[in-house]
Amino acid sequence: MTLLDMREITKVYPGVRANDNVSFSLNQGEVHALVGENGAGKTTLMKILYGLQKPDSGMICLKGKAISIKNPRDAINHGIGMVHQHFMLVPPFTVLENIILGKETHRAGVLRMEEPAKEAEKIMQKNGLIVDLNERVEDIPVGLQQRVEILKILYRGAEILVFDEPTAVLTPQEVDELFKTLKKMKKQGKGIIFISHKLDEVLAIADRITVIRRGKVVKTLKCEEATKPLIAELMVGKPVFMEVEKKPSSPGKVILRIKNLSRTSERGHKVLTDINLTVREGEIYGIAGVEGNGQSELVQAIAEHVKLESGEILIEEENILDWDVRTRRENGMGHIPEDRHKYGLLLPFTLADNLVLGQHHRPPFVKGFQIVDTPEIRKFARATIQSYDIRVPSELTPANALSGGNQQKAIVAREMRFEPKLLLAAQPTRGVDVGATEFIYKQLTTARDKGKAVLLVSADLDEILTLSDRIGVIFKGKIIKEFTQAEATREEIGLYMTGEQESA
Amino acid sequence: MLKLKIDKYRLYELLSPIIGFLAAIIVLLIIVIVVGESPAKAVSAVFKFTMSTTARLATVFSIAIPLFFAGLAVALAFRAGVFNIGAEGQYFIGGLVGAMAGIYLRLPAFIHIPVVVLFSMIGGALWALIPAILKVTKGIHEVITTIMFNNIALALVNYLVNEPLSGRGTSSLEAQTHEIRKTALFGKLNNLFRAIGWNVPDHVYLDYSLIVAILMGILVWFLLFRMRYGFEIRSVGTSLDVSHYAGIRVKHIQIGAFLISGALAGLVGSQEIFAIRGFYTFEIASGLGFEGIAIALIGRNSPLGVVFSAILFAFLKQAGYGLQLYTSVPNAVIYVITGLMIIFIVVINEIMTRYIRALRKKEAG
Repeated sequence: MTLLDMREITKVYPGVRANDNVSFSLNQGEVHALVGENGAGKTTLMKILYGLQKPDSGMICLKGKAISIKNPRDAINHGIGMVHQHFMLVPPFTVLENIILGKETHRAGVLRMEEPAKEAEKIMQKNGLIVDLNERVEDIPVGLQQRVEILKILYRGAEILVFDEPTAVLTPQEVDELFKTLKKMKKQGKGIIFISHKLDEVLAIADRITVIRRGKVVKTLKCEEATKPLIAELMVGKPVFMEVEKKPSSPGKVILRIKNLSRTSERGHKVLTDINLTVREGEIYGIAGVEGNGQSELVQAIAEHVKLESGEILIEEENILDWDVRTRRENGMGHIPEDRHKYGLLLPFTLADNLVLGQHHRPPFVKGFQIVDTPEIRKFARATIQSYDIRVPSELTPANALSGGNQQKAIVAREMRFEPKLLLAAQPTRGVDVGATEFIYKQLTTARDKGKAVLLVSADLDEILTLSDRIGVIFKGKIIKEFTQAEATREEIGLYMTGEQESA
Repeated sequence: MLKLKIDKYRLYELLSPIIGFLAAIIVLLIIVIVVGESPAKAVSAVFKFTMSTTARLATVFSIAIPLFFAGLAVALAFRAGVFNIGAEGQYFIGGLVGAMAGIYLRLPAFIHIPVVVLFSMIGGALWALIPAILKVTKGIHEVITTIMFNNIALALVNYLVNEPLSGRGTSSLEAQTHEIRKTALFGKLNNLFRAIGWNVPDHVYLDYSLIVAILMGILVWFLLFRMRYGFEIRSVGTSLDVSHYAGIRVKHIQIGAFLISGALAGLVGSQEIFAIRGFYTFEIASGLGFEGIAIALIGRNSPLGVVFSAILFAFLKQAGYGLQLYTSVPNAVIYVITGLMIIFIVVINEIMTRYIRALRKKEAG
């Protein structure tokens, strides 16, 4: 039975047809995957479904009846729930508090917790989503937080569940768990919309796959007729080769050396314990691990001037602990930040300004008495835009007018242009499309071949496996195992990532 | 081709406060009708009082000078993400320090005047120093500290002017300092204006403070948009995280911008002290520091924008007097109108900014 039918949805933003006559349906007990590059229109379509955007034309039918969804509340009332990529949870609240938030049970204004707790328990049992209701959300791992998100939606009685890139933050084992849950929900007759970039996962879970490109539905495939190359081709309109051509590495002298590094968080938790690692010239060292196991703290300790409990960080055997960010950058450190929205770009500034940021204080970009040399900056920016193929009308376009992929390209270009000795690349392709990912992979390998030391941190295991010459697995703030590329297998790394395999 | 397009956006940006202003005028007229006054009469009153004669128009510019300093001070701090609500206290202290230099130093005029300007700025900057340090080292929010420092400043100058620095033997009944030396007084520019054919009468104060204002406007513009330091100020004001990531020494920048802001605020009282009164008193116009916040907001924190918004505010003040004198529009309504104008201009600015952003996005694809 058809649960949801979105018919001929069109949504035009100034200048872009974000959705152009898109039709999309979902049956009861079905997982329907929605795939496409960034900016293809998946998000717009889901925003329309969830009442965050109004379509310009088209209609939405639920179980055969036309409905109008003006806001998320309407969507929820119609049994539509969304698991957002960035969780919509209140970190200091408990799991139960988060689940009931917005649908609280009360008697004369006084919150009732017992009935909701029982109800939540029931949903947990039914779907195999076990979480401790009394834990605070900020204290539980990401995989469990996602369960809370799902529970929240089920608690509101959702029939249709939208998952927006749900596996981006999960380990392979957690992905398996999630898929088990999805299958259970499917059996109960719920409809699931699954948005992902990862074609393996799409093929593993979906019953039907709809590919959308430039706002239009290219094709809806049954799972049996879909293959990875076929979907990739439909997505980008040309075949993509994600296999990166890589010469064997020829590592030189040690650039980055970390000795016995330990760090405690502000709240007193140990976040890094006794980290030892080296990255040499001409090699990519990949750090594999589930997010939240100390990767961010490690990168931060290398890039920024933060307080450490013990240990040393050496660049070319020189201790850098007393250096501030500027000194570190001046001494050859490039850094592609984990969260590009937060750290990467000065959004209202021109692309030209952004492309020199971090080096803006040095010649040739300043002259005389600290005067900004605008013509020089623009010249540099134009050259960078061209050699890194950033798609932008002019170097004076503000950064906030760029698409996500182009923003990330700009950041990569900026950090590479200065020929750093050491490049920290944290989640370099998160949320960017296939085309930009390919570009970034190429840049990272080029950097390596040019003799730079690259420290790659990624939650995407395939990315680590594709790019790294050596791999360290981080778990609970410790590097518990190192592999060379030749010895590394997905499965084994996966086991270490979850700590199921203790280091020998 | 590309260049042309970008200029188009610039034009839209410049246009938006004007549209806001026009919308506000319409609201003003509606309010006038609502309170039962004829709009024609109101318009003529406003016109008569603000631009019917050279003297009226010059008065608007004269009023705009201290407003400009206040707006510029707040705008510069805003650019670095610092909310300097303390311009009020900074100009009370800055003015006093400047006046002291004008009273107790013996210097020839061509040095004395720059010296009192400098001392006013130093005074203002010093008054901003403690809130700046507290913000950067202890994370105490500057809105709290600067407001408190406003009160402290007022109490302090009240005491100082009444007791240790009181000028005995002066004729005025209100507490005041000694007279400022002739060499430190700001002369009028009326002769200069007459020379270019603009007949500004003697009772209107267009004095050296106008030159200082123009100079400061240009300097701040140059700092913000031509110097590395200004780039870093704007960067810090846009995003602390990005700036820190890019190696900008955020704390230095914030302290620096705070002090410069205080220095500019120190000049707010200079026209009244050195040109109009010739001595310092607790009674100099107050509240300008707070008006500076609105002026900076409407001027979009740009020096040129602040020029226009300071003139706009001066115009509104004068228009208010005009309405009060020539029509039956009650006094309170004038404040309502001023407030509404601010809201209108800010809202329309915001809408236009978003519209421009959308246009740009569309162009970039």
